[in-house]
Amino acid sequence: MLGQRLLPWDYGVRNLFRRPSRSVLTLGGLTIVVLLVLVVVGFIRGLEKSLAATGNPNVVLIYALSSAADIENSSIPGRTPALLAASVDGVRRQHGVEYVSPELYLGTRITTANMTEPGMGLVRGVTTTAPLVRGQVQIVEGAWPQTGEVMVGRLAHSKLGASKEDLSIGQQVTFDGHTWTISGHFTAAGSAFESEIWAPLAELQTTLKRQDLSLVAVSMDSPERVADVDLFCRERIDLELKAVSESIYYASLQKHYKPVRMLGWVVVALVAGSGIFAGLNTMYGAVVGRVRELATLQALGFRRRAILLTLVQEATLLACAGALFACIVGLWLVDGAAVRFTMGAFMLKVDSVGISVACGVAALLGVVGALPPAVKAMRLPVVEAIKSI
Amino acid sequence: MKSFDLLTIFALLSLPIVIGCGTSVDSTATAIHATAVSIDGSKFLLTEEPEGAVGVIAAREEAEDGKPLVMVGRIGGSTNPWIEGRAAFTLLDASMSVVAEGEDSGEGELCTGDCCATERLACTAMVKVVDAEGKLVSVDSRQLLGVKEADMVVVEGRAQKDESGNFVMLANRVFIRR
Repeated sequence: MLGQRLLPWDYGVRNLFRRPSRSVLTLGGLTIVVLLVLVVVGFIRGLEKSLAATGNPNVVLIYALSSAADIENSSIPGRTPALLAASVDGVRRQHGVEYVSPELYLGTRITTANMTEPGMGLVRGVTTTAPLVRGQVQIVEGAWPQTGEVMVGRLAHSKLGASKEDLSIGQQVTFDGHTWTISGHFTAAGSAFESEIWAPLAELQTTLKRQDLSLVAVSMDSPERVADVDLFCRERIDLELKAVSESIYYASLQKHYKPVRMLGWVVVALVAGSGIFAGLNTMYGAVVGRVRELATLQALGFRRRAILLTLVQEATLLACAGALFACIVGLWLVDGAAVRFTMGAFMLKVDSVGISVACGVAALLGVVGALPPAVKAMRLPVVEAIKSI
Repeated sequence: MKSFDLLTIFALLSLPIVIGCGTSVDSTATAIHATAVSIDGSKFLLTEEPEGAVGVIAAREEAEDGKPLVMVGRIGGSTNPWIEGRAAFTLLDASMSVVAEGEDSGEGELCTGDCCATERLACTAMVKVVDAEGKLVSVDSRQLLGVKEADMVVVEGRAQKDESGNFVMLANRVFIRR
């Protein structure tokens, strides 16, 4: 019944091509709005993914009780890894190797060959047990660092503000008065480790004239076993250690960045809102110029509701085409773009959630943007509308 | 000419909003990883309050390693007084109270932040509920004993103390003051 009263589908489609310049401008505007939404959602999703991917529920981080969860400020005795492995049951072992990673972590000024000003980078002193505990780390190019060498994460250049070429294999970086040669590149499944530079622990300790550690990361047999490390640290108060599951540690950082993410969603709402107003403005212009045509359609016997639906169809088609273009541009240019933040760097993520939000905003722009001008035009009496210029 | 039901088209266009919006549920930080309670908790509970209980501060100073001890205190003293999945918890001296992190703490008050960590050590003790063989019971104390934060409890057992100042109460029985 409803289908018989509606205007033909291709009437609306052809209308878009009757005014190509107006349609292209509207399409461009809608594409920019949706692309902005996609960038902001990509930022939020990238930040969330980076922190979520870093935490492993089987891994427990042990750091100084007095550091207030700031690992850079943590200092624990160098004997802690051996003490933990000997005192706590449930530490993962394979082929006689304990999955215990002693680490020295610091933020420091780093210079590359082509940088005029040093950039703030993150350095982690590690041993060969580090990849056992940080299972997501994979060397994708080059080799594990030997004496005088470092290995860099794929986003380390973003964190430093350097070019990718500056951190290619064989190039040199300088920090804390020592020059290191880059031996390899690693990825870490989008986690925060990707913005770090990894150096051999013993050599880094010598360079920094330190014998202590920042933290010990221990991989347990199961997440339940994390409680045993916690218990050990709370019993041995003389060691002044604190144990936190890695997933909980990074979940707490997620909470820390909650205002940033909330702000991001507010920006999405504001961009969408401004897009709707822009759409309204465009559609008012488009409909006002077609008052006679719309009145003629009414005179031919089409119901107002059918004409209104056609106008909404035109706007929605344009908005959805805009969403399509925005998603293509987003996947091409935005997805994977690195962004620097205090914890390191992360990649903007155009994923299913981002695309869904962008398409939703586009559909909303099309429907909500077209309705008010269309309703206004439909209120005019037919005779009066036909006479209008 | 063909005509389409626009309502169907709108329904199709709204599909992307629905598809892919599912959010994964993270395992919460406070999840209790304890195995199902298979141990009868009542055998660790006392029906009558034992006599001669001392406070946590006094116990830390006076108790001797391996000697029987009865200690009284309130469950708490830190942001999370529980050891997840284990029958162990932190006991705070009854004379002390805890204020929220960052709040000014007066006489007899502690905040849960790291700023009060040293002061907190002097008036708190770790209580481990152990079985007849002296092994820690691998069931969360909230499930095993039905206790909750701020409960006043009297624990009976042995003191474990070393030269470094570490003090742990190995409790065989627990009385809950209601």
